[in-house]
Amino acid sequence: MDVFIQQSINAVSLGGTYALLALGLAIIFSIMGMINFAHGELMTITGYALMYCGLVGLPFVIAAPFAILIAVVAALLMERIAFRPVRNSSGATLLVTSFAVAVILQTLFQNLVSPRSQAVILPDMLAQSVHFGSLSIGINQILSITITLVILVLLNWFLRHTILGMAMRAAAEDFSITRLMGVRANAVIAGAFAISGALAGVAGVLWVAQRASVDPLMGFIPVLKAFIAAILGGLGSLTGAVAGGFALGFIEIYLAAYLPDHIQPYREALALGIVIFLLLLRPNGLVPAFNVGREKV
Amino acid sequence: MTARTWIGTGGYVFFLVAAAVIAASIGGSIERTLIVFFISLIAVLGMGVYSGNSGILSFGHLAFMGIAAYLSGILTMPVAMKKVTLANAPDFLANAHLNFFSATVVTVIFVMLVALVVGIVISRLDGSSATIATLGLLVIVHGVIIGARDITRGSQSFFGVPRWTDITVAAGCAVLAIVIARLFKDSVFGLKLRASRDDQLAAGAMGVNVRMQRLISWVISAGLVAIAGVLLGHFLGAFSVKKFYFVDTFALLAMLIVGGMATVSGALAGAVLITLVSELLRRIEGGIDVFGFQTPTLFGTTQIGIGLIILLVMYKKAGGLLDRLEWDEILLPRLAGRQTGPAASVVEAPVVALEGTLEAREITKAFDGLVALDKVSLSLKSGEIVGLIGPNGSGKTTLLNVLSGMLPETSGKSFIDGADVTGTPAYRLGGMGVSRTFQNIRLFSSMSVRQNVSVSALDKWPLTKGRAAGAIVDLALQTMKLTEVSEVQASTLSYGDQRRVEVARALALNPRFLFLDEPAAGMNREETDALLEDLKGLRERFGMGILIVDHDLPLIMKLCDRVVVLNEGHVIAEGAPQSVQKDPQVIEAYLGKKGSRQVAEILTE
Repeated sequence: MDVFIQQSINAVSLGGTYALLALGLAIIFSIMGMINFAHGELMTITGYALMYCGLVGLPFVIAAPFAILIAVVAALLMERIAFRPVRNSSGATLLVTSFAVAVILQTLFQNLVSPRSQAVILPDMLAQSVHFGSLSIGINQILSITITLVILVLLNWFLRHTILGMAMRAAAEDFSITRLMGVRANAVIAGAFAISGALAGVAGVLWVAQRASVDPLMGFIPVLKAFIAAILGGLGSLTGAVAGGFALGFIEIYLAAYLPDHIQPYREALALGIVIFLLLLRPNGLVPAFNVGREKV
Repeated sequence: MTARTWIGTGGYVFFLVAAAVIAASIGGSIERTLIVFFISLIAVLGMGVYSGNSGILSFGHLAFMGIAAYLSGILTMPVAMKKVTLANAPDFLANAHLNFFSATVVTVIFVMLVALVVGIVISRLDGSSATIATLGLLVIVHGVIIGARDITRGSQSFFGVPRWTDITVAAGCAVLAIVIARLFKDSVFGLKLRASRDDQLAAGAMGVNVRMQRLISWVISAGLVAIAGVLLGHFLGAFSVKKFYFVDTFALLAMLIVGGMATVSGALAGAVLITLVSELLRRIEGGIDVFGFQTPTLFGTTQIGIGLIILLVMYKKAGGLLDRLEWDEILLPRLAGRQTGPAASVVEAPVVALEGTLEAREITKAFDGLVALDKVSLSLKSGEIVGLIGPNGSGKTTLLNVLSGMLPETSGKSFIDGADVTGTPAYRLGGMGVSRTFQNIRLFSSMSVRQNVSVSALDKWPLTKGRAAGAIVDLALQTMKLTEVSEVQASTLSYGDQRRVEVARALALNPRFLFLDEPAAGMNREETDALLEDLKGLRERFGMGILIVDHDLPLIMKLCDRVVVLNEGHVIAEGAPQSVQKDPQVIEAYLGKKGSRQVAEILTE
């Protein structure tokens, strides 16, 4: 039972990170119809920002928000420089463009920083853990779960109660009508990228906090998983992204914990296989987006 | 197949053979580069068969390539060698020793079977979801290859594969692949799939089983990519699982995208360009001597170069360098897409549709809380023209969508000739004689008028032969007076002509029941009068039942035998046009209570 609780806590922590990433992807997708492959590189940039802050000797409490800010700025720049010229193109064009941006950034990291993994200096406290009876929970896990929940609540508030948030929700349902209502496309899209950058930044900090290192490809695999989480949840649906993220976290952790040893090498393949099987049952995802199947004819 | 197809294909073959002959005579590194080029080309052509025609990008094809390289490698490796390198392999693999040809055949069949299973899932997903699922496939297969250490040596190098791929084999396979890719694109399968790429819903309404078409092209494309995998394995001799992951996916996708994924010529152009650029950049990567200065070693120069090319092309020409045109369409624009057989201009006598009835019983459709249709019943007999009118938002289009199978009803039943067809998908209703046009025009915009109409004319293919379908197309085009513009791209036509193409396309399905959703929208009086005559002509010539929605009440009153009035999801009146016109409830629905009182006063005066 203890093992189960322990693993469930791990799952919430990992799933929370996936959820943050998937949410960032879903916000962009719902508004622009774009699958942003370069989302992972925002995470990596956050990691490098943390690394340099550590080298300069900035305390983590300042370094973390700063690194997230860098991710936001990077996301805005990415939109302005790389994605604006192709904004109204087909989904395939947007996807390929972002894929190219991701690869270019990865190669830049390799050349400008290092192709190898770099250590990130973190406060010792993060590595410690708290004991409840026989359970031991890492500080970074507690932090990760708390921060994820806070961010989700804040984002929910933002989307429901601010003008920009409401404009973004409206744009997610029908961008052209929203524009006709006088909402500026640039503002909505920039807002979406800022939020998505912030989410990638937070996820990046949480990821690095657990691993204490950063490498040029750090963001690639988690974001790949977040894509999968986003379609599992229902592509374009924000609630779905969160649900899909947590679901994938649970699937992965439980497989890692309970799969017999000789099947362990196939763990990731199996996890994705389960997701694809779930999609067979619900092709539009767990929580389908509002406009799925409502295309006007 | 048209003359154009054969000329286009001949052009590619000539190009590839010429390149192979030149490279083979030079030999050395040029020959090696060209072999790699041919292998990449086969893979890109394979990816194009699926992605180009369906419009759905795939990251998963490298997985098929990987499976093929490993499987064919194991099958052809000498048994003695396997005893050493793959000591724990299962017996049937350890003892297998096939020649190149049979190993290729076995591998391609195996990969196509795998693709069939995977494709059943992926074909259910649309657009971006499908793309991400293919990404999942790549990760899964990568994981499985690493996990299956006994037969793949995990993430270590897999070696000992006989190096049997030479320039002749590679060129031969590339020619085969390019012929298959072009023939597929110009085949009925390709036509239907491209229709679904341009407009999935309209393709469904015209009888295209979109999932099935996607699945077919997915399996064929996996087969082609498998050939590339076999060749690559037997070219390299030793490789590791990294060869079949994101780096190479990126390069192949770049080839597919840069030239233009919609065409075979685009794949060829992209493969040539990216191969040349990569060769060039690879030489710079390690640092070169420029006027006495040694440039520093840069990691991934090729990657950045390819990335920048992609960005540049996407910014300037999102459809790729060749966009949607094959080389023959660019160089020989006047060669029309005529049939190669004897002219199919003999238009058969119009077939008068069999007697029949379409009946909807108490159809209810609710969108969450909003009840768009509330127990609506309606019938349509062949030879009858029924008008469906009502204020905006009264549920007219929703009713057409339900009856044509595009929206599932919440409750209620529909029948054709007394047989229950409730819940039948749109594409099958198309085959049963239900056809429609769309309120907001939904043509297959990248295709010619003739191709648009052919999609529905070929609904019963292969039962209906291509030539018979050609006659149906000619008849539909003549009927809607579109013969002149038949080779024009549909999206470039005027609004009125586009509406006519919509009707022609619906006609080519040989409907017994034709739904027209606001055919007169945006037309002036004269055009509407012309349309009125055409529609009357349709009934006389073909004898189908027509259900027409329009806001042009004079048109409805002159055309229809019977009018059904909807308001807020209810049928509020039904009958002859004259009686409906005077119905106080109808006047109230259109004008509100106050307005209706005024009208009543005028009528009584």
